[in-house]
Amino acid sequence: MTLSSAPPGARPRAGAFRSGLLAALPIALGYFPIAFSFGVAATRAGLSGAEAVMLSVLIFAGAAQFLALALVTSGAPLVVSAVTLVAMNLRHVMYAPALLEQAGGAARTRHAWAWAWGLTDEVFGAALGAFARGGRSFSEAFMGGLGLGAYGAWIGGTAAGAFAGGGVLEDWPAVEAGLGFMLPALFLALLLSILRRAQVAAAAVAIAVTVAGMLALSPSAGILGGILAGALAGVFRRRQR
Amino acid sequence: MRADLVILALVVGAFTWAFRYGPTRLRLPGGGADGAMSRFLAATGPAAIATLFTASVLPMLADPAGDRIALAFGILAVLAVWAWRRSVLLATLAGAACYGLAVYFAA
Repeated sequence: MTLSSAPPGARPRAGAFRSGLLAALPIALGYFPIAFSFGVAATRAGLSGAEAVMLSVLIFAGAAQFLALALVTSGAPLVVSAVTLVAMNLRHVMYAPALLEQAGGAARTRHAWAWAWGLTDEVFGAALGAFARGGRSFSEAFMGGLGLGAYGAWIGGTAAGAFAGGGVLEDWPAVEAGLGFMLPALFLALLLSILRRAQVAAAAVAIAVTVAGMLALSPSAGILGGILAGALAGVFRRRQR
Repeated sequence: MRADLVILALVVGAFTWAFRYGPTRLRLPGGGADGAMSRFLAATGPAAIATLFTASVLPMLADPAGDRIALAFGILAVLAVWAWRRSVLLATLAGAACYGLAVYFAA
């Protein structure tokens, strides 16, 4: 088969996929060490390397996975653990509509069953940032590359941490501390990349409600309440004009 | 491999996938570029990431043994490198490096 026999649209799709993989680089560099920490924590908690990797392959949600370790090691019932973790991931419901809204009404979702699997917090933030800066436009191939790059780094980091063992970071306290701050640093950088003046109020409301919710109720309630309150503030602000 | 752990991962993974994929099948009416739903969805991104940043640093602030100076160094490093290079990657790495070094030297 010659190159010219490739179906129409194949090359743009391949280019968009590669662009997605490249855009995943910051996430991958952030994910690998965090997933490494998860692998280390999992083996410290008594899980085997295969079990740690299985959690990353099947769940692919960092905060939920760390919480899963705490629930499993504390002996929480299976149903309680499942309900807690599912509730924690409920925020993901709002990501695809927000992305598709920015992409416009003509955005295709034929392969969304595949690329939506990779729609984590960081992939969502990175996609919004790429679109907001004007360098990229929405395509399923771009989203596929972005999600696959992040997924690969997450699984690879978990495997490396799990098979390195529980005591691997004990002699490297600065590295261990730095890894612990990787996720907040990534969230802050992503926020700076997508924040526009018109949305500062929405972000401020989200922060205030998150703090109140986490302190008064629970982390999950604070997170869900913060996202909802911030998004609603975006509606209210525009109506004030 | 423990069966209960596999079942837990399958259940949570299935719901997580449904949360991420399901809404792509339900095209919501935006009400035009300035409609309420459009404004809601446009604000969802910054609100979500601001929320997740807050949720990730709040335990550090609330922990009496937490190193708030290191946290300040880490946040300032992210802000400074973002202002300098507009790079998510460099800002993230700089923040983590400054935080780790601040914790190390403060110990």
